[in-house]
Amino acid sequence: MFQPKGVYTALVTPYTKNNEINEEVLRELTDFLIEKGVSGLVPVGTTGEFVYLSEEERKRVMDIVVDEANGRVPVIAGTGASSTLGALRLIKYAEDAGADAVLVVTPYYLRAADKGNFQHFYELANSTDLPIILYNIPQCTGGFLSREVVEDLAEIENIVGIKDSSGNLPYLMELLEKVGDRISILVGYDEVVLAALASGAKGMILASANVIPDRWVKLYEAVARGDLETARSIQISIQKLVRIFCRHGGNVAVKEALKMMGFDVGKSRRPLVKGGVLSPEVREEIRLELEKLGIVQPKPSVVETPSKPLQERFQDLNIEAETIAREKFKVGEGSAGQGVTFVHIDLLAGPKNGPIGEAWLRGLINAAPGYEAVSVVVEPNLMVKPITLEMPAVEVKNLRQSSILFGPIQVAIGKAVLDAVENNIIPKELTETYALITKVSVNPEASDRRILYINAYRATTDAIKQAFGGCNQ
Amino acid sequence: MKMAWLKGVMPALVTPFNNNFEIDEAALRNLIDFVIDKGVTAIIPCGTTGEFTNMSIEERKKVIEIAVNQAKGRVKVIAGTGDAGTDTAIELTKYAEKIGADAALIVSPFYLKPTDKEIFEHYKKIAESTNLPILLYNIPQVTGVEIPWWVVEGLTDFENIVGIKDSSGNMPYMMALFEKVYGKISIICGHDEIATAALAAGADGLILASANVIPDIWVQIYNLMLEGKREEAFAIQRKIQTLVRIITRRGGALPVKAALNMMGINVGKVRRPLMKGGILPYEDEELMRIHLEALGKIPKRRVTFEIKPEKVIESETYVISETPTKINDFSLRVGEGFASPSMAEIAHIDLALGVKNGPVGRIFQETLKNPKPGHEPMIVKFDGEEVKPYTLLVPTVRIRTAQQAKFVYEYAMKGVAKAVIDSVKLGILPSEAVDHLVMIAHVFVHPTASNPKRVEINNYKAMRYAIRKAIEGRPRLNELLERKESARHPFKYTP
Repeated sequence: MFQPKGVYTALVTPYTKNNEINEEVLRELTDFLIEKGVSGLVPVGTTGEFVYLSEEERKRVMDIVVDEANGRVPVIAGTGASSTLGALRLIKYAEDAGADAVLVVTPYYLRAADKGNFQHFYELANSTDLPIILYNIPQCTGGFLSREVVEDLAEIENIVGIKDSSGNLPYLMELLEKVGDRISILVGYDEVVLAALASGAKGMILASANVIPDRWVKLYEAVARGDLETARSIQISIQKLVRIFCRHGGNVAVKEALKMMGFDVGKSRRPLVKGGVLSPEVREEIRLELEKLGIVQPKPSVVETPSKPLQERFQDLNIEAETIAREKFKVGEGSAGQGVTFVHIDLLAGPKNGPIGEAWLRGLINAAPGYEAVSVVVEPNLMVKPITLEMPAVEVKNLRQSSILFGPIQVAIGKAVLDAVENNIIPKELTETYALITKVSVNPEASDRRILYINAYRATTDAIKQAFGGCNQ
Repeated sequence: MKMAWLKGVMPALVTPFNNNFEIDEAALRNLIDFVIDKGVTAIIPCGTTGEFTNMSIEERKKVIEIAVNQAKGRVKVIAGTGDAGTDTAIELTKYAEKIGADAALIVSPFYLKPTDKEIFEHYKKIAESTNLPILLYNIPQVTGVEIPWWVVEGLTDFENIVGIKDSSGNMPYMMALFEKVYGKISIICGHDEIATAALAAGADGLILASANVIPDIWVQIYNLMLEGKREEAFAIQRKIQTLVRIITRRGGALPVKAALNMMGINVGKVRRPLMKGGILPYEDEELMRIHLEALGKIPKRRVTFEIKPEKVIESETYVISETPTKINDFSLRVGEGFASPSMAEIAHIDLALGVKNGPVGRIFQETLKNPKPGHEPMIVKFDGEEVKPYTLLVPTVRIRTAQQAKFVYEYAMKGVAKAVIDSVKLGILPSEAVDHLVMIAHVFVHPTASNPKRVEINNYKAMRYAIRKAIEGRPRLNELLERKESARHPFKYTP
């Protein structure tokens, strides 16, 4: 009997522009994954949007994948349904279509108790000679497949494994303890794969194995030869990417990643839409992670200290160098970090009832497109004093970039200003009458929020000290 | 029913603390007088709203004693004497009995979650140790465990177990209580959001956090229900629903104290780790203020607006302790407003307010003359008519689609316009000043917004908050310095 082990991909189902199954791309993806060395393919699972496919469509996807795989790797067809009869029909079909095994999700929506769940799998197992893999995914089904039921089902000849996508390690350990010697335990939650394999899981069925099949194969092999050090470094290198897949959009996120890699897999079906479970900001984070992993090519960009003299860097706000000198406005600049996390800050400060107030508002309201500014807060509803403007000095092209600029960078500027007030570098009596303007240069590709926060804080603090240095004397 | 008096409206008192987080006895006595004047039938010191878990045993005894002393027999005192461990609960209950409390409210044991048997034994031991009447207290949101109805049923056989307070808000649970123990013990509703519904279903009374704030309204609802005027009672419940939803779901003591402080009834701070901006979002505090004003609970005071040296306006307006008595420097005042829910529909407004011949007036004109593509300004109108002060709406996010434009210039605009009109109507912006002032609202609408109604409402709220904060200069510097370390910006962290 087939004993699943290794790396299996829970295939996405590609669609055409008309939202029909895209056979060509499905075949292309199948080939790609087999070349990358996966142990098998799982069409029409959760990642394959089986709940949005008609029975006919599900059968067709199975046919295509079985045909394209052509015996090179086993195909485990997703044949789950909320009813036993529905699952039965699909299993029969999978058998005729030539699938090597089936993956059957726990009944969902109207939730059966242990008795009903047992009977469901029991009847399915008796109806077919195909090997069956049980499937626990409480995030979607609303309940766990209880360990006691799994224990009893493991006695049945053609129940050969269980995929656990709960990510719940105590549950997985319970499975390993109770049935690990009889059936294959497969992990289905990308974030805990290493922990599961190290504990004795036989393999994995993963959504992210569409995108990074080779990393999973390497990780699997490393664990198999006892090289946990290597396995650990692989898992950590992909952790952020797979966390996004697991928690910020599942299928939608995986499809976005595949599109960035050049697979025209189309959209997910309604009601899943971009900007729903997957926000545009997080979508951009996916691209950066793929760049870091060398899966897509980054666009090079360099950010340097502005070359003009500091006093001339506020002309776009109608503040000329001579005005700064004449009115004794305060200016300062600061930089910190290197490479992609380099941050540079220019700072201008003065009384808000004159040209500085006007420039402050001009920067906020009349910014050039791509240079939209904010009034600095350390968190929403905690706007700092003196009022401080954060203006990007490098064009902002997407929402992820704004979430960096107006996230960690903004907070760092705000914190630096408040700390300067607390430490009397900015005199307290100026907090109601002054306005501060900062111009921030950050590399558009920068993504390490922690380092960016630290660098922006240092750069701002230095700029403030330079600008207000005279006040203490 | 074993206790005839155990009914009506009973506030779960907050414990006032001073700036050093010590018990503020004078404030506690003042609060007790306030609620007694409004017609409550009993007071509950040291309940959940009283922050009992964040007080020492000595402090709890002291607060119970003050409550008994200040009530002076005018109303009953039900002391909160619950504890995670049985021995401490017994000690406190006996103490309450000794100093003359009329009953004890005892929460089911928490933290290490006991089973049915242990809950039963806990109450049994306490009941056997005292003659004081005891109310059971079910509040699974904080204890983590529901007292099963069959445990309640069994405990009713004890002579001195006389009632249960159910704060779960779980109607099916409460219906099971009615089925099993109705008439044997008093069934008291402890969840403000369903109070009128619970009374309609047969509850004997109410022990509520919000009865610190609006005891009179709850007494009115209770009496209407007694008279069978259900429609009227439910109409009032609907009017207070937002306020009590915030109180119930945003930390109990925290919003109750914030509300009382805004009403001029000083009850000080809550103890750490509870903090404003944490479990009680800042925006909800602002929203409570709007609702308290609508209910007539916020006092008015004279405020001087020195628009220009030659233009000074005296205005009678709703104030809190942070509201300055004199506001000058109308060159550039900035206020921030943030309103949710729903990430896609959040509203965030940076508002600039100032005189026409200052920075705000000049940038107002400049922006109209030289609009930036994608950020085209629009003068705020309501029903085709410009609102006053003249207000310019400028989109924060570049407009790229027709749908986005509709959300900003139509739905958000409508909310912003209504907020300006209401702010003037309520005297937050004095009507005499509107011809001298202009405003620029920098309005953020997320490109993925999809629910027009929510965008309008959130922008209404955000604009109301922004106007008020610009006028009052909030947050104040001391607040900022106090909160800067714990500030947590949602975008600071990686996905």
